[in-house]
Amino acid sequence: MVGWYTLTLVDYAIAGTAIIVSMVVLNKVLRWLGVNREAATGYALILPWLLGFLIWNLGPFIASFYFSLTEYGPLRSPRFIGLDNYVRMFRDDPNFWPVIRFTFLYSLFNVPLGLLGALFTATLLNQNVRGLGFWRTVYYLPAVLPAAATALLWRWLFARSGLINFILRPIYNLLDIEAPSWFTEPRLILPGYIIMGMWGVFGANTIILLAGLKNIPRDLYEAAILDGAGRVKRYLTITLPMLSPSLFYVLIMGIIGSFQAFTVAFFVDHSRRVGTFINVYIYEQAFGRLNGMGYAAALGWVALVIILLFTLLVFKSSPAWVYYEGERAG
Amino acid sequence: MATVEQVQPAVVAPTVVGRSRAGEIALRMLTYLLLIAGALIVFVPFAWMISTSLKAEQSLFLYPPEWIPRPPRWSNYVEAWRVLPFGRFLINTLFITTLAMVAEIFTASIVAYGFARYRFPLRNTLFILLLSTMMLPGILTIIPKFVMWRELGRIDTFSPLTVGAWFVWGPSFVFLLRQFFMTIPREIEEAAILDGANTFQVYWQIMLPLVKPALLAIAVLSFQANWNNFEGPLIYLNTLEKYPMILGLQFFGETLSKEAPKWHYMMAMSTMMAAPILALFFVAQRYFIEGIVVGGVKG
Repeated sequence: MVGWYTLTLVDYAIAGTAIIVSMVVLNKVLRWLGVNREAATGYALILPWLLGFLIWNLGPFIASFYFSLTEYGPLRSPRFIGLDNYVRMFRDDPNFWPVIRFTFLYSLFNVPLGLLGALFTATLLNQNVRGLGFWRTVYYLPAVLPAAATALLWRWLFARSGLINFILRPIYNLLDIEAPSWFTEPRLILPGYIIMGMWGVFGANTIILLAGLKNIPRDLYEAAILDGAGRVKRYLTITLPMLSPSLFYVLIMGIIGSFQAFTVAFFVDHSRRVGTFINVYIYEQAFGRLNGMGYAAALGWVALVIILLFTLLVFKSSPAWVYYEGERAG
Repeated sequence: MATVEQVQPAVVAPTVVGRSRAGEIALRMLTYLLLIAGALIVFVPFAWMISTSLKAEQSLFLYPPEWIPRPPRWSNYVEAWRVLPFGRFLINTLFITTLAMVAEIFTASIVAYGFARYRFPLRNTLFILLLSTMMLPGILTIIPKFVMWRELGRIDTFSPLTVGAWFVWGPSFVFLLRQFFMTIPREIEEAAILDGANTFQVYWQIMLPLVKPALLAIAVLSFQANWNNFEGPLIYLNTLEKYPMILGLQFFGETLSKEAPKWHYMMAMSTMMAAPILALFFVAQRYFIEGIVVGGVKG
């Protein structure tokens, strides 16, 4: 039993030593090649990342593209099949479109709702409220809870005899319907996930936006008041433009995060036919089937393209709404 | 906003002052009401988790629900701990988290120092490359990484979850630390270099102590990320005795608690898993907030 830990400790020590030694060696070699002292040290210092980039990002990135053109499983070597995986995905896989649709719809609701909710809360907290530290702690709490615990908790809250149904019981009685079990009722899976997702990220976004609000110089508001601008006008013409870089950051991170929903799905037990996220589907294909690793790699590439398209869309639109105030200190 | 409110009466015509004062108070009250409503939305699920974890099995589905179980069954925690080898799971979690965290902090800070302080060709291009890897979906590279660890014979060991941390896992940590390094005046280092200190001494003895708040910020974020990491253990570990807590929790939900969910045990396990993180949050809250804010405001 102790052997497991020792094995990893040895691996860990070897990798650590190798990194440090290679940094020293790189520095020496670059100096010997005539690179100036500062540049040689600089390259040596960023070497851990450079190696990591090659080994853990670029290499696997290229390899996964190759795998996506093959039939490949844990027990056999890859067999080249050209674009068959992609053709199969778009034409023959009955699960592909529902999975994309579900992931897309989840993001479509989750990202804007999370952003607007956080903006609203941050605005409230910026109204010079008493006990700001307390409120900030409270709102950030859900973001500290492990995603697994959050998912289990909400699964229980949404269960047939869970708390949500108890709270909603008057409404059910009024409409004369039976209390549903949210995560087993196909139509309620998406709203269930959206509510759960909002509860989880809400706090972190609120804190980021609040810090952005606190960074807006006071004198801008004072000038606007002298010009006779009302509360709403001040919010629209000063607060929002000045906050737009933070909003942009939260939006990008939100899109990337919600397209990659994964952990929660393993703690919410629901019918797998409806409501599978793309990442979960990729995992199931790669590790749940015998020869699915090539197909899973192809799915991964499609997921990457989708995420890139959306982030690119936001980036392209940013000059129209994100306002950078030159090189402001801080 | 304080100064803004004080300026207002002087500008607005006297007749409006009375009405706007009343409006001001109403607005304040509304603000607090909404804040309290929001806090309830946060707190009620938490309270429900703890409440459930102290219930007896037969009182789980009582109607109306019982908020304070009588008597509270503290033994749920002991029983939940014993259903599966949770003691072992805890050791595994601590082992993985500690190793990954130490390597992550060390390499992220050294790389950030390099990017912040040394000029070399292609520096900005490389830094943009570093930032752009944040957007690469992890699932895309997971299959080649799995194959790589398999070729190295390290499937079902802790190595894939820890050794990789030497190669800078978190580009966001590098970004955060670089921001901090850049705020430190160059004169401090120059003095040390004149005194004959080498690069490593400057980094270790002078720069690191100066960015301690940022180091603590990435330490808590890294602890949280490794403690809660689910995807890695799920893919690389197969043997029950090697599971970290999160995988144990999932295993319990999928097996012993599948048909008739034992919510009292699952909530007790969730609480135990979340407890260290929550405790850390209450102690080092400042650093959590510092860590997440830098990206959003300074980026």
